[in-house]
Order: sequence, then C-alpha cells, then structure tokens
Amino acid sequence: MKRILLLSMLLCCMVLTAFSQRSVTGRVTDASNGEGLIGATITLKGAKSGTTTDVNGDFKLAVNSDGDVLMIAYTGYETQEVTVGNRSTIEVSLNANNILNEVVVVGYGKQIKSTLTGNIAKVGGENLQSMPVVSFEQALQGQAAGVFVESTNGKVGAANRIRVRGVGSINAGTEPLYVVDGIPLSKDARNTAGAAMNPLSDLNFNDIASIEVLKDASAKAIYGSRGSNGVVLITTKTGSSGKSKIELDVQFGVSQPTGRREFLNASEFVDYFTEAANNSDDLEGVAYDDPNSWTAFVTSEEDGRFRRYSGFNNSWKEKVDRTDWQEEALRNGSIRNTTLSFSGGNDKIRYYASGYTGNIQGIIIANGMQKNGGRVNLDFNATSRLKMGVNLNVARTFTDQVTNDNAFSTPMQLVALAPITPTRDEFGEYYDRPVTTYYNGLLETEESQRRVSTLRTLGTVFGDYSFTPNLALRVEGSANLYNVNDAAFFGDRSEEGNDSNGAAYAAAAFATDYNTNAVLRYNREFGKHDLGLNLGTEFFSSENTRQYAFGEQFPTDDFRTLASAASITDATSTITEYTFLSYFGRAQYNFARKYLFNVSGRVDGSSRFGKDNRYAFFPAASAGWVLSEEEFLKGSPISFLKLRASWGQSGNADIGNFAALGLYSAGNYNGSSTLQPEQIPNPALTWEKSTESDFGIDFGLFNNRISGEVDYYVKNTSDLLLNVPVPGTSGFSTQTQNIGEIQNKGWELTLNTNNIVGDFTWSTSLNFALNKNKVVALADGQELIDDGGSRYMNVVKVGAPIGVFYGAEYAGVDAQNGDALWYVNAADDNGVILDPNATTNDFSEANFVELGSPLPNIIGGISNTFAYKGLSLDVRLQGQTGNNIHNAGGGFMSCNACWFDNQTRDQLNSWKNPGDITNVPEARLGYSNGDQSRSSRYVEDGSYLRVKNVTLAYNLPTTLLKKARISNVRLYVTGTNLFTFTRYTGWDPEVTTDFLASNVVYGVDFYAAPQPKTIVGGVRFTF
Amino acid sequence: MKKYKFSILAAFLLGFSACDNKLDLEPYQSISEDKALSTEQNVRAAILGAYDAMSLGGMWGGNAYIISELAGADGEVRWVGTFDGLRTIFNHQLIAENGNALETWTDGYDAINRCNNVLSATSIFRDADEKSQVEGEALFLRSAAFFELVRLYAKTYEAGATNSQLGIPLVLTPTRGINEGSFVSRATVEEVYSQIVTDLTTAKTLLPDDNGTRAGKFTAAALLARVYLQMGRYSEAKTNADEVINSGVFSLVGDYENCFNNDDNSTEDIFAVQVSAQDADEPTTWVFYSIPEFGGRDGDIEIEQKHLDLYPAGDARAAYFFEGNGAVRSGKWRNQYRNIPVIRLAEMYLISAEAAVRAGQSGDEAFNAVYTRAGNTAKTGVTLADVLLERRLELAHEGHKLHDGKRLRNTIDGLPYSDPKLILPIPAREIDANPNLVQNEGY
Repeated sequence: MKRILLLSMLLCCMVLTAFSQRSVTGRVTDASNGEGLIGATITLKGAKSGTTTDVNGDFKLAVNSDGDVLMIAYTGYETQEVTVGNRSTIEVSLNANNILNEVVVVGYGKQIKSTLTGNIAKVGGENLQSMPVVSFEQALQGQAAGVFVESTNGKVGAANRIRVRGVGSINAGTEPLYVVDGIPLSKDARNTAGAAMNPLSDLNFNDIASIEVLKDASAKAIYGSRGSNGVVLITTKTGSSGKSKIELDVQFGVSQPTGRREFLNASEFVDYFTEAANNSDDLEGVAYDDPNSWTAFVTSEEDGRFRRYSGFNNSWKEKVDRTDWQEEALRNGSIRNTTLSFSGGNDKIRYYASGYTGNIQGIIIANGMQKNGGRVNLDFNATSRLKMGVNLNVARTFTDQVTNDNAFSTPMQLVALAPITPTRDEFGEYYDRPVTTYYNGLLETEESQRRVSTLRTLGTVFGDYSFTPNLALRVEGSANLYNVNDAAFFGDRSEEGNDSNGAAYAAAAFATDYNTNAVLRYNREFGKHDLGLNLGTEFFSSENTRQYAFGEQFPTDDFRTLASAASITDATSTITEYTFLSYFGRAQYNFARKYLFNVSGRVDGSSRFGKDNRYAFFPAASAGWVLSEEEFLKGSPISFLKLRASWGQSGNADIGNFAALGLYSAGNYNGSSTLQPEQIPNPALTWEKSTESDFGIDFGLFNNRISGEVDYYVKNTSDLLLNVPVPGTSGFSTQTQNIGEIQNKGWELTLNTNNIVGDFTWSTSLNFALNKNKVVALADGQELIDDGGSRYMNVVKVGAPIGVFYGAEYAGVDAQNGDALWYVNAADDNGVILDPNATTNDFSEANFVELGSPLPNIIGGISNTFAYKGLSLDVRLQGQTGNNIHNAGGGFMSCNACWFDNQTRDQLNSWKNPGDITNVPEARLGYSNGDQSRSSRYVEDGSYLRVKNVTLAYNLPTTLLKKARISNVRLYVTGTNLFTFTRYTGWDPEVTTDFLASNVVYGVDFYAAPQPKTIVGGVRFTF
Repeated sequence: MKKYKFSILAAFLLGFSACDNKLDLEPYQSISEDKALSTEQNVRAAILGAYDAMSLGGMWGGNAYIISELAGADGEVRWVGTFDGLRTIFNHQLIAENGNALETWTDGYDAINRCNNVLSATSIFRDADEKSQVEGEALFLRSAAFFELVRLYAKTYEAGATNSQLGIPLVLTPTRGINEGSFVSRATVEEVYSQIVTDLTTAKTLLPDDNGTRAGKFTAAALLARVYLQMGRYSEAKTNADEVINSGVFSLVGDYENCFNNDDNSTEDIFAVQVSAQDADEPTTWVFYSIPEFGGRDGDIEIEQKHLDLYPAGDARAAYFFEGNGAVRSGKWRNQYRNIPVIRLAEMYLISAEAAVRAGQSGDEAFNAVYTRAGNTAKTGVTLADVLLERRLELAHEGHKLHDGKRLRNTIDGLPYSDPKLILPIPAREIDANPNLVQNEGY
C-alpha cells in the first residue's frame, strides 16, 4: 500500500514537471585520452533525477531550464558542474582525480587514497597494457618513485630485479613480496638446471587492473615477516555489471640490440697480436725468429696460432675479415602478442575471462619464448549476504634458453673469437677448437637444445559473508602450482657432449604453495567518526620437489632424450618445504576524513627459524592530517594537502629453509655413500628486522591540476641474516647469523600535472627517488666481506654502499716503458693514505680502495602524454645516475692482447714508444700488463637516460565504428628502449651479469646480452 | 542464529591455530649433527666423506698437482688457458684474491675437519680393529692435507734448521660451532711437520697391511717417506720407502702407459683417488691437461720442448705424450673420470735410490727398477744427478715439480727457491675472516 502511494506521488511530480522540460544529449569523456566513460552519472543539481552514460559515454537527460546545473560524476574522476545554458548537446571531459576518491588496494583490503597514512605507489593497468616486454616488472620501470627495476640482461626470460627503497639485505632475499589477488607468490627461480628464469614472466599483464607497491612500514607491516623489502600487490581485472565488453589486442614487432661494441677486424687483429708477441719477445730478450719466441708462437707458418685460427692454413696473411663474431651472436628479434578478453556481468554475477598467446624471439641467437595462458575471474552474490568468487589462471611457457654469461657456449662469448676464423670449414661444418680460439658457441644452434617449459595454475576461491552491514568475514584459499620441465640435449660436437657422444639432462621441479586466510572486518561510521578494524589469520606452506638426471652416450644426435642414453651418470631428487603461520590485525580511524590514524600488527611464525626464536611481532603506527579539510585552507589554491608520518617494523625471512640447523649431508666416494658436515648450527637464528620511519606530504594545487607526493624515509635493517664468513680452517666458509645493519634513507617525489586541458591535453607525470645505502655494521671486528676473487669486486664494506667496487686504483701507463701502473694507496692505521701519488707496476703491491658504487643514488622517470581528439602520444623517459659499471669482461676483451681473445678497438691506442701518453698499457701477449680485472681501469660511469617507451595511438572516430558494432578501435605503435644516452662504452648500461647477480653483485658486465630495442605496431578492438 | 555465526568464526580461528605444529619441519636431504656420528654405520660413511674431500678440486682432484706443476714450470710446461687464477700462478703474478689459492685452502681444511669429526667419534666402534683402522685412515688423510697445505702456503722446510717460520694453522678438533677457538693462528713449519710425522707414525701402527683402495699401513709409510724426503731426513725416508718396496703388496706395472688412466688401481698404486663418472664435478686434472675430445677444456697446459728434450732416446715415457689441439700433452691426464694416482711404487724406488746415493751407498738397483721399465738400459754407478733427473721424468706432472725444486734449492723461472712469489698467499678472505692470521710476504 505504502509503495503504491509513493509511486503515484512520483508519477504526479513527473507529469507536473513534464510541461517545461526539454532534453539535452551529450557525451562524457576521459580528458586524458578522449575515450568515452561508461557509467558516469549525470544528475540535475538539487534534483534527484539523473541518468548514466552508455557504453560510448553518451547520455540523454531532461532539463527544466537554461539555468539548470548538471553534476557529472565518475568514480576516480573529479566531479564537474556544467550550466546547461541554451545548449542541446553538452560535451564534458572529466579529469581523473587521483587524490580524493581514488581507491587503492592495501594489504587485505581497499582504502580511499585520501585517507591513507602510508606510502603506496599505484600503477594502473592502462600503463602496462600492450607493452612489448616479456614481463610486467619491466613495464614498471621508471613508473613508481623509489621502485628500482632492472632487467639483468637482454635474454628473453631473464630474471628481473626489483628493489623497493634500496637494497635491504646482504644474504636474505631483497625482492619484494609479490601478492597476486591475495596469493603470495614466491619469486624463487625454480627451474632446475639452466640459467635463472623469471617465474613471473608468465603473468599476462593485460589482465592486470592495477599494481600497488607498498613502500613504507605502515603499509607493509601487515605482511610482517615477509614485508621488509616492500610488497607488490597485483590485482587482476574483474567484470562489472553492465553491457558485455569484448577486447582483442593484436601486436607485431621487431627488436634489435640497444648497442654494439667495436672489435678488431682481421687486419687489425693480425697486426696487433703480432705486435703483442714482438713486445713479449723484447721483454724476454728473445729474437723474433727464434722458434721458441712468442712471435713464432703466433705467426709461424708451420704451427703458429694465426695459422691454427685460420683453419690450419695461412689465409690470415691476406688480412681479410672472415667472420664478424658479434654479428653472429646477435640478430633481429621479433615479438607477436594476441590477447582476447571478455568481461561483463549483472547485479548477481560478474566475470572477466581472457586468453593470450605470445611469441618473442630474442636478439641473441637461439633465445626465445612462447607463452600461452588464460584467466577466468568470476564473482557472484550467492545470497544477499554472501559473495563468492573464483580466480583461476593457467599459463604455459616454453623458453629456449641460452647458457649463463660465463659459459663459453653463451652467444655473447662468441666475440672472443678471431676475425680471421671462418665459421665453417670446407665441408660446411662449424669449426671448433683448436681452430676457434674457444668453443664455437654457434655449434649450440645445431647441436644443442635447452628448452624449459613451465605450467602454472594459480587459483583462488573466496567467500565474503556479511554478518551485519558493519561486520564481515572473508575467507580465501589459494593454490599456486608451478611445474617446470627442463630438458636439454648436447650433441656430440657440443661443448657438453663432445667427450661422451652426446649428453642430455631432464629435470623437473614441482612447487606447490598453499595459502589460506580469514579476515574479519568491521567498519562503522558514526557521525564524523569512521572506524575500521581488521583481524585475520593466515597459513602458508610451500613444498618443492625436484628430479634431475643426466646421461651420456647417445647413438646419434637424432636421439635426444635420456631413454637413448647408454650411461646415466647423475641422477638426483630432492624435497624441501617451509611454512608460515600468522595472526594480524589493523585498526583505522579517521575523523571527518581530516585526522587519520592507523595501527597494525602481525605475529609471524616460520619453520625456517630456530625453535626458540620462531615467532616475532611486527607493529606499525601512522597518522595523517588533511589540512585542506580545515577551514583556513578552503578556497585557497591548495586544493589538497595532507601530512603523513609512519613508523613500523617488518621482517625478512627469505633465507634457506634449514639455515638454523647443524647438518650433515650425504655424498659418494668410490661407489659408496659418504657423510659430511654441511652446516654449522645456529639455534638462535631469527628474523631480519627493518625499522622504518616515513614522513610525507600529499598535495594538490589549482583544483588538483598539479598534484604530488613528497616522502622522506629512513629504513634501518638490523639483525641481518648474514652469512658471516668464518675462518675456512673451521672446515666451513660461512655461518648464518643475525648480525649487522644496513641503512637506506632517501627522498621520493611524485608529481603529476595537467599542463594543458581542453581539446588538446598535455599531462606530465614525474617521479624520482634519491636513496643512500650504507652498510652500518657487520659481525664484530669485521669490516669487509669480499667474495670477489681475482676477477670481480663487489664487496660488502662497513661505511660504504652494499656491493661497492673494491679494487686497485688504476694509475694509467708508465710513459717510459708502457707498464700498467696502479696507485699504491698504502694507508696508516687510521685509513689515511700515506702517499696518494705513489704508484707501482706490481699489482699485488696496490692496496685495494673503494672504486665507486654500482647502486644508483637517483632513479626516476618522467612521462608526458599528449592527446588531441582520438590521437595520443605518450613519451616516457627513465634513467638513473650515480652508479658505476664494472666491465669484468674487459680483462679479456680489453686487455691489450694479454691473450688471444679478440680485442675491443680502443686497445689499438696501446703504448708503443717511450713518451707515449695513453691509458692502454703496452700490448704483451701472455703477460698480465694491466689486465687485472679488479681495477678501476674497468670501472665506468653507468648513469643513463633512456627513452623507455613511446606510444603513438589513434582511436578511430566512433561515428565510423557504430555501424560495425565496434565501440572502439585503437591503433598504436609502441617503441621501447628507443634511445639510450650514456657514457658507458659497453653494450648497454642496464646490466648485471646473470651468473653473479646477487644482493651484493650489481653493475657487473661480463658478456651480458644487451637489452632489446623493440618497436611494435598493434590494434585493439573493443566490441 | 547469532550463536551459529560466531561459532563459524571460532572454528576458523581454531582451525588456524591448530597449524602450529606445521612449523616443525625437518630437512629431507640432510640429517642433524647429533644424529650424524651416532651410529657405526654413520661413522663409516663419515670416513669415506674424508676421502671424498681429498678428491676435491682444491686437493688431489686438481690444484695440489696443477699449482705445483705450474708454479714450478720453469719453462717445461706452458699455461695457455684463459683462466687467470692459474695463469697468474704460472707467471708468478698472483694476488691474495686468487681463486685457486682459496679453493685449495678451503678444500684442505674441509678435509681436515671431516677427519677431526671422525677422530672424535671412533669410540663408537665395538670392534677394536675397525676402530684403529678408521682412526688410522683419518690420521693419514689429515696428515696428507696438512702436508699439501704447508708446502703451498708456507716457506719451505729447511733441512737441519729450526724452521720457526710461519706454517699453517694446526686444527686438531672438529668444529661444532664458531667460538673464540675458531680463530686459530699459524703454527710454525716445524710444528706442522712434527704433527704430520707423529700422526703418520701412529697411523702406520693402526692401519691394516691391506685396506683395498683405502689407506693401509704401507700407504702411511709411503707418505711418511715422502714427508721425510721433503725434510731432508733421508735415512728415515729410505727406511719407510724400503718398507713399502719390501712389503710385497705392490709391484711395478710392466708398461709405463698402464700406470695411468685406469678405472681400478694398478699394482703399483700405493694410493689413488678413486674416480668415476659420478664425480663429474670434482677432480680437475684432466680438465686442464686434456683436450675436448677426451673431456678436457681447450688444452690449457701444454708440454714444452724443454721438458721433452730431457728424455733419453727411446724412453717409453717420452712416447706417452700425445699431440692434440696443436700442442704436446701429458698422457697421464688424458681421459676423464679415471683414477688419480697419488703415490706410486716407482716414487718409493726413487726415494730409496736418492737416499742411498746421498748416504754414499749404491742406489743402482732401486734406480734401475724404474729406469729400465721405461725401456732404458740399466745404469751402474748411478749419481745423485741421475736420480734427480729420473724423478723429473718418472714423476713428471704428478705434482712434485715445485716441491722438489724448493727441496733441492733450484732456481725456478729465474726466482730463487725461497722467493715469496713461489708461495701461495693466505687467501684474502681468510685474512678478513680471521684477524689472527698473518699474511705471507709480498701480498
């Protein structure tokens, strides 16, 4: 009865007003790209009636008079008021409001950004979409302040490294925790035998709705013992109620190396090495024509090295280039990606489903990857109180791997071979040693295959039950099943198989991670008070099994699996596991969105620690004050201003599974099993702890045309899980102890500006971060951990940044005799250098000093977006400065002909006559004259600025498309790594050789593959 | 209804807290320290672990031979490889960060710690014979490790002098944790040698006459002969060498070429490291001496004419070299996965001959046993020079070059025998980790 009454009153009102009404039509678009906004609400100010835009952003609404004001609102955008006037069509473009109403994902929940008290960097999925890179982390590079991203090299599928606010550990993990839709993902490289692979490269980043990086303690302490290195929350797309949407994105492209080095050609090679041999003879006082001379060793027409390298003939005398080995290693790569997705739903059920296939051929030979996968995200309202959902992702990848940078078989090591050596003999077979100086890696392309296939199933089921409108319980269960198959074959001429008639291995690893959590949440607003409480518990377990077998003696190269191996020489299987059990809670309170408070705590226990120290508590507290809500700022140009402060602790448990135990392991000798000590016990072993303070200001000016964030933080990581070097006389090298401290402190700035608005828009987004890393303390009495050996020099040194280069300071060349010189740098007990000018030609007399840090002190990115109508151009620069690169391969390729490796062309400047001023010592074959790799001779400035990404896109006019029932067609061209500005003379300044990459080793170039420069063209259809 | 809801809640929380015991995990591939030496069977495996340590690349698996041959090359072999660790050892430009010096140090002390662990646990054996056998083996292996290390990392033993120069740390107890006692100092060369002599003498009394491919009484005697020879205590060296020769357990192999590249010990192997294809990661002698065809690298060590010229015409040992990848190679380390002879009976004959000649007695018989086996006609009135040359030929590339050079005070590559460049550095890493260690001169 009541309802009928109401309805008839409403009808009356409508009839009454209908007389003076007219209607306006219009369109609501996104100011940044001109695309129509679906579902924006348009209401008449002061009235209850309104409408929403359709799938193209169009609307139609009845108005009463010219003086009516339309309020156009869209979640995440600034609400606009428009006076109708005498217009009948109204075009409105809305600016994204990334300050007031933007919702961000936080640990175990979501929050309105303006009420945040912690520091969270958000990167929207639109910034990742269609990027022609292998893995989503690469797309993040330069997009979030304080988030350092590095692809260790240009191999397809190579590991990427992300460091949030600096390097926080020496021996425990330094990667952030990755959480995909609530599932913590281990980034352990789980492949079994070959080079490290990136296990996250199978995620399709077109599925990603947003990535949030939790940076400060307040944001990440809820992840307790796993949060110390930051947390990367990845949220995948979900459907929304409304019309179904189909999207198809197809792209093709090509890639090339970003850089090349110059090597000696055949003529230079012959001349230079003859000169080097002559010089060595001069040094020894041996006549060049003496059969035992170096000169004869090189140039003898009967048995000299040139003859050998020419294929046992004297064609070297013609000085004609036979092979440009660098070009043999590199090639043009290609990329091809297709993604198809469907999304939609109604008020009961929402879905997002996608499938993709990608094929990337690398810029070095025999390296590529194929990816296929699919995802279904489904959620539905089972009852009015119970919402349930399933997210399921299946991905399959095949990677053709090349060996690690230090292997002779890796393509980039081909550059060491002589330009006088042809690739193939007269029968068309590849030459190998002794004709090639080292193993001819081209044999790998014919003789070997290394294929890693992975299958990942990532699934979550959740239920969310509302007991009352304020109280709800969410329970999630998830599984991450990751299967790696690694199969390799090495033919009977390959390096691995040439002594055993072919060799092969088969390896399989299976990782099963289960995670379950239950979170009870309570939200209540009373008056201006807003209270939120979370209470939860979580259990995580991970089991890894691995099998490996190696066999030799194959009948022919056509048989490539172990079934055909006559001899199995190695086989093993292992199992390992670890668990975490946690309880956590969080309370948030704000008054009138003006005064903000947040406290959280987590208790974590892990199997990885000694029984007595198994549990730890990680607290955090933070507060914020939104000054712009105060009266005194109302009406000023400052449209938003918030001060934040946070303090908290988080932990790091990312170490080996049984580091606390004293262990013996088994081996074999003479066919019998053996037992040997493996690890010294440390029952007191526990978490590494980070204590972090953060002060921040969020601001918006001129109606948020300019907005940004500034943060200052200090992060102290103490009780480091340090593999303390112990005297080798104990029979052990290291013991994992909780000792030492690292500090990272710095500034972060994010600035977003809408420079020009209107038909033509120009917006800029800038971020940069300054971080200072310092090792504060190591074990008692210990100042240095140096595992560099004679060739590498990243060390851990108290008072210096982690991984600082530590070696001899190169002093150039003695102008009188061509000897390489180093500064002696002898110091007194206080570390004061006694005679800074003293030099020596005896490397072992040179005292090691710090030679620069491999870590950048400033990283940043700036992106400019221009849009006019349907046309948009996005240009993103990314760079870093303050870091150095150690070209450790220089000791071979730039060593003034110390041995037969082909030399870089700059070596031609070597010292020749007394009085010559040069930086390259005299060429002396077979001698160390400055080739010692641990010297500043091979350290260079590694700063760079890159045109990381340029995207030109055009959205076809909708009028054209309507008939074809296509709602949008976007044509685009994207280039990545287009230009690189750097002083580094190697292939590419973004480098850390893969076989060494660790927490301590950064910025080392040892035949690491250059990064790819990629250009793709694509089209995206939206139906 | 409300009650029901909250019981769901309680059940969840309870369900989670029941997981506590899931934090107690044990490793699968390892066992805890207290279990490891708690049974006879385990201690039997642990002594084999000590043998295995001696077969590592830092010890008899490679460096113990290669470093001696390269540092003492004197133009008889040439390192042509790309690895700078061994190249700088070869051309006497090595630095304290040298990787091979570190490997040998850590492998050596790993072996010593394994021996000390066994020695701490032999009381578990109920059978007294087994107890003394295992004890003897551990003492033998520990002495062998000390002997390799002291010759490489310390100034040479000067016969008849006090030898108070710095040797190497003497570690005689197993490591169970890191404490003050772990930061050991270097003992003197005299102390190290006297420990070796004492231990080997004890081992001789403990070990059985025949112990298969493992160390027996005569293995200990043979090593003791070698140690005494290095110390210049020739008569004791001769006594021990003769004891081995006269034991009747070993006999010279008819053809020289059958002494090497064997899967099983030859009749003249007094001790050999047992190698199989399962040890692919460990021994490295052939990796550097041999060529790809036989499982080696690129043929990093070439034999020079200067060495080949030393052989008398028709000597079977000269014929045992082979040509490959453009150079002459040692046949001794040609094939991968073959046993590595550590002490051969031929060496005992030559020790006996040298001691005899030095004492003014005839060494002809012992000398000729080796000399004629190589196809040469017997000599009479053998001189010291004859014996020393014969050592160079018979035992070439078996790790004696540097140590013999120092013992005989030869000039090596133009350097006096006592030159600091002929001594490995205490690894820089060790100096950093243990402030009580004193670095060698020149590093």
